[in-house]
Amino acid sequence: MFRCVLTAAGLVLFACSTTALAQQKQAIGAPPEASNMKLVGVSDLQARSAYQPTIHRQGDRWIAYIGHHGGTDDVPAPVNPMTGQAEPNGTSIVDVTDPAHPRYLRHLPGQAGKYESGGAQMARVCDGKSLPKGDPNAVYMLRTFGSEAHEIWNVSDPASPVLVTRIDGLKDTHKSWWECDTGIAFLVSGAPDWRTRRMTQVYDLGDPAHPQKIRDFGLPGQEPGSTGAVPTELHGPISTGPQGNRVFFGYGTNKGGILQIVDRDKLLNGPKEPTPDNLRFPEISRLPMSAFNGAHTTFPMFDMPVAEFAEDKDGKTRDIVMIVDEAILNECGEARQMVWFADVTTETRPMMISSYTVPEASGQFCQRGGRFGSHSANESMAPVYYKKMAFIAFFNAGVRALDIRDPYHPKEVGYFIPSITSATDKRCIPIEGGDRCKVAIQTNNVETDDRGYVYIVDRANTGLHILELTGPARAVAGLPKS
Amino acid sequence: MRRGAAIAAMAIALGVSGVGAYQLAPAPAEETARWREIAWPFPRDGWPAGRAFRCDGACAGAELYVRAKRGFCNCERGVADDDEVDRVADIDLISPRFTAVAPGEEVGIGAMRGRARRYDLDGPDSARLAAIGIAVSRRCDLLVAAAQGRGQAGVVQRAVLVFLEMPEMKTWVTAALDGK
Repeated sequence: MFRCVLTAAGLVLFACSTTALAQQKQAIGAPPEASNMKLVGVSDLQARSAYQPTIHRQGDRWIAYIGHHGGTDDVPAPVNPMTGQAEPNGTSIVDVTDPAHPRYLRHLPGQAGKYESGGAQMARVCDGKSLPKGDPNAVYMLRTFGSEAHEIWNVSDPASPVLVTRIDGLKDTHKSWWECDTGIAFLVSGAPDWRTRRMTQVYDLGDPAHPQKIRDFGLPGQEPGSTGAVPTELHGPISTGPQGNRVFFGYGTNKGGILQIVDRDKLLNGPKEPTPDNLRFPEISRLPMSAFNGAHTTFPMFDMPVAEFAEDKDGKTRDIVMIVDEAILNECGEARQMVWFADVTTETRPMMISSYTVPEASGQFCQRGGRFGSHSANESMAPVYYKKMAFIAFFNAGVRALDIRDPYHPKEVGYFIPSITSATDKRCIPIEGGDRCKVAIQTNNVETDDRGYVYIVDRANTGLHILELTGPARAVAGLPKS
Repeated sequence: MRRGAAIAAMAIALGVSGVGAYQLAPAPAEETARWREIAWPFPRDGWPAGRAFRCDGACAGAELYVRAKRGFCNCERGVADDDEVDRVADIDLISPRFTAVAPGEEVGIGAMRGRARRYDLDGPDSARLAAIGIAVSRRCDLLVAAAQGRGQAGVVQRAVLVFLEMPEMKTWVTAALDGK
């Protein structure tokens, strides 16, 4: 009898360990892992490591512009099957009008170089007719060109982009922001004489053919000629435009993050010489984060009604900024990078109110390989999801759909982890005598379109996955049942 | 008898002082630099604590702080310029008010390459201190060292670079960069 119990216990243990092992490792051919999200369509993006997708409606078409990092050690410049040429990673342009059958239109090469030292990571798109002095028949894509330049292309025919202008001579670039109604752009740049790799160059790109520089901006201590400690470098800004009159700057990647709230009008029209006083002038406040976390994305959501506070005499609505950290190290080699919600209603005293992370044990993500932790959020402010749902790219934990209607208590309502493919690149950590590598999904960025489709892209070369919400998650966004 | 006891006590003391200290192989007639490990003196920040040492001998009074910083975006370019040294070398742990006194120079520690730079620091009671910042990279990771003292910066820098090349330190650096 005792022997039978032992055998049964052994079998249970074996079954559990097999399940745990299966969860720890993705296999080619295995189905995606999903809850309340389903796959609609796929593009392999020519097996290029992907960063920011931007989805833009052009007439009756929907076009995805997807920025890429540089190539890898193994494949520095993948072959473009449309041209037969090896091309340094740049921008993929994909027609996603029919999301079930995305059509790859064009690869626009970027700067030669590997990983963060090449490619064309960032893309933003504005219609010429919305810009103050744009060609009304044109559609403009603003992209980075590796670390050395920003470029504007006319993509009115997305299969045949035409270069309009170039701002170069930089030592780095990153996640810029472009206001389509004013043309004002907050370009994440590395001006050669600044002490930081990434700061802000404010430009008027209202006439894309004739960029007008407004000023350089950063934290005091980063400017040319300063001495002493150099504050954390910029990751990216998001502006609320002339109406909101605020720009939210996120500094840091996975350490020493800062949310900086800036008066846009003072930034654009205040004194421009980069002195410490002039750099402080437009700042309203800062929220320093833990030294353990950085600020990759700072996404503002003003006037959010909070149901719990509905009967309160004051503070029924709150101004919220969602802050997303970026995980950098593979296999949990750092403090957890996650999502934070800050209440900035009283702007001079912003306060963290809640946080969200994927529970590690739900998928043994620290053992799966690659990065685990957050990287970025969707940045579309289209009504379909704005202030209701947020989508977070969580590297090997795929994309996570959060119900943020009560930002004091964000709640996960869905997720999708794509299957790996033969294109998925390995991720390694150093061990005694060499490296140990694993292959895992690395969902890097996410964006949504006005129709409600969710676009996720992979840093480990697995391509683009177009998703939609299913089940109860649709109700959160007020979408009809699928 | 008393003389014998004194000699024995001195021998024991010298032996004890050798424990936990690292002695640089000196050139003939050159004063020895000995680095004695001390507690990491800084509050916790975003990076795990490293190791700290105080110098006796050639660089007497100088202190050295060494640590690994894993996860560095410039995987390809490494420590490419002096601004990078200003940003990463931990000089700001000693004092947030520092001024570089000259352009930096290329240095290497083992197979790692990077830069070193000299600084003036604001010390307590308006005293001026000399400091050295060193940053070298291994792929996407950094080894940084900051040293401060009242002695000649050149002497301290040489002593630090020699010390970081010692087998015990190389073993520790490799482990620290591997996340162990």
